[in-house]
Amino acid sequence: MAGQARGKVTIDIEECKGCGLCVESCPPKCLELAPELSAYGVHPARYTGHDCTGCGICFYCCPEPGAIAVYRLAPPPKAVPAVLGGEHAATV
Amino acid sequence: MRQLCKGNVAVIKGAVLAGCRAYYGYPITPASEIAEAAALYLPEVGGTFIQAESETASINMVYGASAAGVRVMTGSSGPGISLMQEGISYLAGAELPCVIVDVMRGGPGLGNIAPEQSDYFAMVKGGGHGNYRNLVVAPASVQEMAELTILAFELADNYRNPAIVLTDGYVGQMMEPLDLSYREIVAPQKPWAVRGTAGTRKNMVSSIYLESDDLEQHQRRMEAKYIRAQQTETRWEEYLTADADLLVVGFGIVSRILRSAVDEARRQGIKVGLFRPITLWPFPSNELAAAASRTERLLVVELSNGQMLEDVRLALDGKKNIEFYGRVGGNVPSVEELLGKIEEQTAALI
Repeated sequence: MAGQARGKVTIDIEECKGCGLCVESCPPKCLELAPELSAYGVHPARYTGHDCTGCGICFYCCPEPGAIAVYRLAPPPKAVPAVLGGEHAATV
Repeated sequence: MRQLCKGNVAVIKGAVLAGCRAYYGYPITPASEIAEAAALYLPEVGGTFIQAESETASINMVYGASAAGVRVMTGSSGPGISLMQEGISYLAGAELPCVIVDVMRGGPGLGNIAPEQSDYFAMVKGGGHGNYRNLVVAPASVQEMAELTILAFELADNYRNPAIVLTDGYVGQMMEPLDLSYREIVAPQKPWAVRGTAGTRKNMVSSIYLESDDLEQHQRRMEAKYIRAQQTETRWEEYLTADADLLVVGFGIVSRILRSAVDEARRQGIKVGLFRPITLWPFPSNELAAAASRTERLLVVELSNGQMLEDVRLALDGKKNIEFYGRVGGNVPSVEELLGKIEEQTAALI
């Protein structure tokens, strides 16, 4: 998806057991299992680096309490005159 | 830049210019567009909008944001404002600035969604518990919905007290040209705020004073600032009062209708003038008394059964004949209707 990123995911490979539930549940399919093995001998999940919307579904379905963190990224603030002026005037 | 804008939206445009970056609210007709505009504009300028689970929750979110030192506001109508009264008392007691917009609708209870001015007592006289006052401004146009919201933020911060924009469903829902000159205001730094930093660690925001003497001292300090507000913050507008035999008094949308009725009466040779309080607390009592000293009679018009009327009576202290005309239930009088009342009153003078 083009434009400003809306979210990001971090996965702690010390906690991930490689079950793949997050990969299955992710609506934009932005998670995958890494081809390499972790120290526990599993293929841990990882973020592809793009398309995360910050929905948090992977967080909710992960069986491990501390494996996944999801961040919602706020867009940078716009200048006030650009926001309050013309184009929005008739929309609300 | 001029734009066609709804009164409720103009509130948020003014708030954004005033440096407000947080809105917590719950929608209610006829105030919902305030929340809608806040949800649209605040995130775009780096602010926060949260639709709370209730008005009680939203006013307490306002309390928290205000304690953290940001410019914050909420908006509602009569039933929601009733739910917020406890929080408003706490905000006043903890000396926290915030802006609350009351777009008045018909009451009591659920009433209806048409304009009334029947929350005057609730906002101007109090409504919550304890000795406190709200600073109350009453806009009469879309332009003033923005301008007086900016003023409300200034007053709230200057006096560390809740400020109310008291308007009605008529002004909130109507659309008029709005001129925003983009004089953006940088919200002031608040050294008393609790920001979770080492520098503000010793600050305390609270409204509890368990020792009687402490609470008395706290209230005396609040009284002093209320007296300062009464001496310096009254705002009002006079229209053709210099030679008037009859003075009509009204605020908000009623003042707009009265102004047209005054124009029409003047065309018929009736000497009538209009006095419009812009701040309802502090009420411009001295200014009203001065304007009334030149007239024979007064006619107070409200969309209530006579609430501001009491402040007019207090201001004139029994010295003048005061007549009252009110419409309630969401009915708004026409220019002809008020012209008829003006003619009745001036006929009584002869």
